Amino acid sequence: MNHLPQSWGRPRDDIYGAYDHSYLQSNGPNQHTQSPIVTGTSVIALKFKDGVVIAADNLASYGSLARFTDVKRLRSFADSSIVGFGGDVSDMQYLDRLLSSLDTREAYCSSGHSLNAQNLHTYLAKVFYKRRSEFSPLWNQVLVAGLDAESKPFLASADLLGTTFSAPSLATGFGAHLAQPLLRKVAPDEDAVAKLSEEEAVQAVKESMKVLFYRDARSLDKYSIAVVTKAGIRLKEDEKLENQSWAFADKIRGYGTQVN
Amino acid sequence: MFIARSEYDRGINTFSPEGRLFQVEYSLEAIKLGSTAIGVATGGGVVLGVEKRVTSSLLETSSVEKIVEIDRHIGCAMSGLQADARSMVEHARVESQNHAFHYNEPLRVESCTQAICDLALRFGEGADGEESIMSRPFGVALLIAGYDEDGPQLYHAEPSGTFYRYDAKAIGSGSEGAQAELQNEFHKSLTIEEAETLVLKTLKQVMEEKLDSKNVQLASVTKERGFRIYTDAEMAVVVERLPAN
Amino acid sequence: MSAMFSQNPLMNGPNYSFNQAPSTAAAGNKEHGFYPYTDNGGSTLAISGSDFTIVAGDTRSTSGYNINTRYSPKVFKIGGTTSSQDDATLVLSVVGFAADGEALKERLDAIVKMYRYQHGKPMSVKACAQRLSTILYGKRFFPYYVTAILGGLDEEGNGAVYSYDPVGSYEREQCRAAGAAASLIMPFLDNQVNYKNQYIPGSGVGHALVEREKIPLGRTEVEDVVKDAFDSAVERHIEVGDGLQMFVITKSGIEEKYLPLKRD
Repeated sequence: MNHLPQSWGRPRDDIYGAYDHSYLQSNGPNQHTQSPIVTGTSVIALKFKDGVVIAADNLASYGSLARFTDVKRLRSFADSSIVGFGGDVSDMQYLDRLLSSLDTREAYCSSGHSLNAQNLHTYLAKVFYKRRSEFSPLWNQVLVAGLDAESKPFLASADLLGTTFSAPSLATGFGAHLAQPLLRKVAPDEDAVAKLSEEEAVQAVKESMKVLFYRDARSLDKYSIAVVTKAGIRLKEDEKLENQSWAFADKIRGYGTQVN
Repeated sequence: MFIARSEYDRGINTFSPEGRLFQVEYSLEAIKLGSTAIGVATGGGVVLGVEKRVTSSLLETSSVEKIVEIDRHIGCAMSGLQADARSMVEHARVESQNHAFHYNEPLRVESCTQAICDLALRFGEGADGEESIMSRPFGVALLIAGYDEDGPQLYHAEPSGTFYRYDAKAIGSGSEGAQAELQNEFHKSLTIEEAETLVLKTLKQVMEEKLDSKNVQLASVTKERGFRIYTDAEMAVVVERLPAN
Repeated sequence: MSAMFSQNPLMNGPNYSFNQAPSTAAAGNKEHGFYPYTDNGGSTLAISGSDFTIVAGDTRSTSGYNINTRYSPKVFKIGGTTSSQDDATLVLSVVGFAADGEALKERLDAIVKMYRYQHGKPMSVKACAQRLSTILYGKRFFPYYVTAILGGLDEEGNGAVYSYDPVGSYEREQCRAAGAAASLIMPFLDNQVNYKNQYIPGSGVGHALVEREKIPLGRTEVEDVVKDAFDSAVERHIEVGDGLQMFVITKSGIEEKYLPLKRD
């Protein structure tokens, strides 16, 4: 407490640091999104002979705070594709609305044929690239899973910069480090994909989700998983990681503060 | 009550019930009031010739410019409202320079003609619904002569925005008679010199004034020298060559 | 503790958030700003011969130490009349920021296609080269972050290679390497294609040394040079590998070849 009544009830600077007034300033150049706020972590996906498996956990983090634990980060489109979102959750929700209106428009005007996963991916990539070119990025990396124009399994990534690529298996964020090597072991190339069964693919993805939960501090053991095939989408949004074993944990040495 | 025609000849973008655009048709009439211009294409190049109407003995004839350069390899002769032609030529020059800037190659003659015709149609709204930039169609026709990778070419561009390629074409007040003469005299193996003579001879027949080296103008486009307006001395030589009668 | 990180240098010690001292928190970027570029690695290479041009590139795409995918082409046919581009005569390679590369490729392709409609002829490699330059320079103040190489056959039927910097400066060359391993491949090309620093042994000392005769390479030799260049680059550069895509442009069309590279 001090003698200046204006400061009473306010956070003390010697404890919390000076308030950064620059956040409230409206002069200077127009500032768009400079960093993501509420974020989702990895999305992982794997192609198999008849389709694609894709998974993401149900957590939305606010920095290191596990803010929302029931956020669905897999979104189905036109009953034929799945988009998995990593990165900013508000941008994900914006894109979700954008895709809804696109789906509605297409359903009304088109001649029976709807947009496939390849079309959807191209569209999303153009949206991302346009927004990055306006210096107002949508802070996401997405995986699009489904089928292409020839009804073959399709899996591709698009991110906030508009960068796109496609591979037998893909993983965003932490998953690119932890899950991708495991998935590549199962499907190193398209020939391997052609031989991979749905059960094997689901198994590999679930195993990867477990590894991610063990090692990614911003992850959750509740997750969504979807299988896209010609038959349609099977999306489960309330899965729980099974057969966890933390037996390895106390054997880990050399990362933390312990010395022996 | 109006007669049927006048109800539909005001709006430039309104078809008459017979499917005609009267203002466009009227613009074609404006050309028939203009001085005669003739173009003849040969294997070695294209020759353009125009009649300069010297309306006063006090008029400085060199100020009557009815043949102009568009680029080094393209030129044109005009008949009709000259002021309109200025903006068309300006447009064509910009297009030609733009093409050279972007593609490091000369603009093709047909592409140049197309560019001019695109402008000629801008009395209506643009394809993307932009405001029209002109209140009426152009009142001028052009004979566009040029040389590109397909050899020498002659095009005729109208205010309606249509264009055709010709071996020989006459426009303006004396065009009917001149065209008939060209029809008779033209053949594929004409030389440049023969074409010069043919142009002047034809002009001479349809001109009211007596043709001399001051009241006509010639220009040519060839592979070697590009577009070139004839000097007074060169004009005198060609006029000299004409059969006297 | 947190006062140490105070935005205001005068505020070391107990202070309060209202203005006791002048605020120095002015306009200026806070945190990390958004950077609109990334580098997706990889390398490209083009060599022109007397009646052919070869444009090649590896197919790896990277983000930092990650491999995004093992197959992401950076060499494209341009300006064909069909969706498969099988009648194209021009080849563009782009390396650097892949999203810009993709955007540039699509823009150039659309322009070349429009040119065919508007001018009733296919675009020459010379015209395309100039147009590509103006496209790149058009974004001088927000560039396409790519190194482009354009390949084709010129009006005489000779191989033509045009190389660019990201803002459109360009020149026609015999050969050019670009991208992550450009500094590894280019000197090799100087030596093997243009015979730089190759002298006839025993022909003299110092300036008297006689240069080896400059014999233009044939198609099979050039293909071997390209393969060797990439095999070597893969050994020494982590961003290069996975696959080699080669386009051979001759008067009878464009032939595509794919060879595996090391995936480590």
